[in-house]
Amino acid sequence: MTIVIANGGHEADYIIKMFNNKKNKIIVINSDEGMCSYLATSDKISVIHGNPTKKYDLSVANIDNADVFVALSSNDIDNYVACKMAKKIFKVKKTIAIVRNPKNVSVFKSLGIDAAISGTYLLAESIKSETTIESLIKTLSLEENKIILTEIVVKEKYAVANKTLAEIHFPSTANISCIYRNPNVIIPSGKTVIRPDDRLLIVTTPNRQEEIQEFIQEGK
Amino acid sequence: MKDSVIVIGAGKLGAKLARLLNENGENVLVADKQSDAFYKLDDFSGFTIVGDATDLDFLKSIDIEDSKMVIITTNDDNVNIFLAEVCFYIFAIKKIYVRLSDTDKGKLLENTSIKGIYPFNLSVDFFCQQEKETR
Repeated sequence: MTIVIANGGHEADYIIKMFNNKKNKIIVINSDEGMCSYLATSDKISVIHGNPTKKYDLSVANIDNADVFVALSSNDIDNYVACKMAKKIFKVKKTIAIVRNPKNVSVFKSLGIDAAISGTYLLAESIKSETTIESLIKTLSLEENKIILTEIVVKEKYAVANKTLAEIHFPSTANISCIYRNPNVIIPSGKTVIRPDDRLLIVTTPNRQEEIQEFIQEGK
Repeated sequence: MKDSVIVIGAGKLGAKLARLLNENGENVLVADKQSDAFYKLDDFSGFTIVGDATDLDFLKSIDIEDSKMVIITTNDDNVNIFLAEVCFYIFAIKKIYVRLSDTDKGKLLENTSIKGIYPFNLSVDFFCQQEKETR
């Protein structure tokens, strides 16, 4: 895989160390001369001192048809333009931009950047999931978020505990597809009793996810 | 404002174009990050507003989607390209002019109706024109 890393300080350094192996070719383009000479000490990477939003500098760096382009500068707009140049002029397959302003995540995506990553945005999302999805262990989204697979561990106090599936009238908007009761896997029927410590694997749509959690916990 | 002209970046070019359009009776709004940029707008009877145009909430607050033309002339090419694409793809503005010092960035405007103003190309054209006439 050819990975281009445009600007950035310690972030660039970290990513280079992580991906610098036989499988990858790493190209660094950085507008800071001191950073360039520091990064050039890593083995087998090509380092170009230049501005990643300039066509000439990008062509010197030889990034044509690279697999991934990562823009790491602290200026959101510069990262946007660097990604756009890489994609439109140099046919780079995937572009990723770091953004400071979390509002730019959705803006950049709608303008054709493959991924826009904001530390603040991720932080907010993780706070949200920490507080609302208290006992949820994992969720997995399939088919571009159209299907959600949720794993819930049943606690003694939950409304569904020690009842059969027939008794609890599980909402029709979701389905308990399987129950993991160590060491067995149970494909449930109406007569199956849900017990504390069971792990329920529930298939649902994203808009019903919270509703289902409430139902399991509080019987609502 | 419906059918207004919005100028982003009150530098020399932005301020001049704003005044010209204003004299022609257009409803002009000039936006700039810095309030002291507006000193260039003497005898201008349009509107001015201070704000960061790279923030979409600011653009929404000045009802940019209702304008009939946007002219982008900040002193940063990257900001200009970004704003032009935001105006075209997100706000679907039909008439967009953008000043670009780096002609290479014009490639990003392909397949859009955005019109690039390139001082470099204009200088070259002027020179060639003059030479043709004196020959």
